[in-house]
Amino acid sequence: MGALFFHIYNQNIMANIPIWPGSSSFHPGDTPFGFYDYDSDFQKDADKVANFCALRLGYPIENVELQDINFYAAFEEAVTVYANELFAYKQREEFLTLEGTPYSYENTNVDLQNAIITPNLQRIVDLSEQYGTWAGVGGNVDWYSGSVVLTSSIQDYDLDAWATSQGLTGSDVEIMRIFYQGPPAIDEMYTPYAAGFGFDGDAAAFAFMGGGYGFGDNFLMMPLSYDMQTIQAIEMSNDVRLSNYTFQLINNKLRIFPVPGRDDDGCNLWFEYMLKSDEACASVDVDPNAISNISQVPFRNMDYNGINSVGRAWIFEYTLALVKEILGYVRGKYTQVPIPGAEITLNQADLLSSAEADKNKLIDRLREYFESTSRQSLLERRQAESVARNSELGEVPMTIFIG
Amino acid sequence: MALYGEARDISLFRTINRELMGNIISQECIYYKYRLAETKVNMYGEAADGRYFFDPVILNCLIERQDQEYPESDLGVDFQWGITFKFLRDDLLGKNPCIDNQPDNVYGANLVPEVGDVIMYQNGYYEVDNTNANQFFVGKNPDYPFLDDEGNNPLETDLANFGSSISIICQTHYVPGDRYNIQRQRL
Repeated sequence: MGALFFHIYNQNIMANIPIWPGSSSFHPGDTPFGFYDYDSDFQKDADKVANFCALRLGYPIENVELQDINFYAAFEEAVTVYANELFAYKQREEFLTLEGTPYSYENTNVDLQNAIITPNLQRIVDLSEQYGTWAGVGGNVDWYSGSVVLTSSIQDYDLDAWATSQGLTGSDVEIMRIFYQGPPAIDEMYTPYAAGFGFDGDAAAFAFMGGGYGFGDNFLMMPLSYDMQTIQAIEMSNDVRLSNYTFQLINNKLRIFPVPGRDDDGCNLWFEYMLKSDEACASVDVDPNAISNISQVPFRNMDYNGINSVGRAWIFEYTLALVKEILGYVRGKYTQVPIPGAEITLNQADLLSSAEADKNKLIDRLREYFESTSRQSLLERRQAESVARNSELGEVPMTIFIG
Repeated sequence: MALYGEARDISLFRTINRELMGNIISQECIYYKYRLAETKVNMYGEAADGRYFFDPVILNCLIERQDQEYPESDLGVDFQWGITFKFLRDDLLGKNPCIDNQPDNVYGANLVPEVGDVIMYQNGYYEVDNTNANQFFVGKNPDYPFLDDEGNNPLETDLANFGSSISIICQTHYVPGDRYNIQRQRL
């Protein structure tokens, strides 16, 4: 019937795209990225996974309109998703320890995949520096000293003007401490002039002058709490009855109380300050060789050979979900597929919804599994086990030993 | 430039159609192509010496049967049964060395349905009354890329790669087999 060719039909354009034939043979380079192409176990599993997915999708009862490279791509993606979830979990778990550590060592990039990471407190200490800075008990910002000269009867002093005179910018100066206070109360404790409130000064403490405790080397050892109460009494007296030393600092305008007298004229009033610019600089540590964000944590591509059976089972299931999705897109590019004299609708919607549900379920399951093996969860479980064990042991009758 | 209905998509449709028609629905018929050159006609244009056909070809198709009718006339009771046979057009093409060279390939019938051909279905013979090739995917038939004498189309450079003529539908009526000298030899 050679003469009956469709002579006007250009058969060269009649492309025929092969679909899954029932078997495959993986070769390196068959995956889009080639992350795991040379892992021997990946090479073995690739064809098995392809066959598994095809069978789960109905082959050989039904055609599966995919090729082996589609299966391989899904397989590679599943491994990558697994590794991504695992490493993301590890990063969350360890980032407080990893932040700031170098990600290369002797010009070789570090790979943390097989590293056992022991937590340390360094970043906690670093995080606490800010509090130390403001509390004046450490920190990572220098404090400087400055002083203004007091003038009798002048109560207000502009520290911005002082900063300008020192070559600083007033807005850059943060006053941290002002040394403007009276003499310590203990100075008054042993002076007889401090008896304005009925206190007998040092006579009472040491029984001098026949203060009721006898002569000579007799003295009464008073408890330390007595001294403390006395000092507090002196301080309260000064606060209430006298013009005590204090100050007010608003917008770098210093107002001191009491108003300086003639004796104060020419004296220095000292204070301590830090520079906001110093604080800002101390907050930023630029180190191009250190891990400064999540993306720099040196987790490379996962070694597929090292994934155990639990992980691989998850990967196989996720591959199937991805393959469903690909097949759904293939079958759903056109809502209606023409057949002679009619049109049909394929199962794209079912495939896509099933794939979406499967993927979400698998991701949730994996994350839950990782979370259940976090350091916190393991310690909590161990604690619960300990409590349960003790409780159980407590049920054992305690015998009385009679020797 | 056309975007949808490229040859790759048509390949998918062909695969799905062949699975549907061959493996799922699996309706078949035997096609007898009329051998026009060897059929002698008399001065009235009648094939008085009989009609000749090529060897039969078995094909997958979709079959739409009408009800049998038994009209009465002066000559007695007659029998009528109209059937519509729907073929995937790609099944009727000749073997394409690019795509049909697999050893187990059963496609490539290489025939053009025409009026006068005969189709055998369930031991009955049905003569083709008319053929209809009017189902174009995305409205385009790649057989007609509208090329000028120099092979160019100023609007579309690769129209021959898009669209597809999906089917050929044959409407038939029942004929007694002895009228065409077709004898059942196999099946």
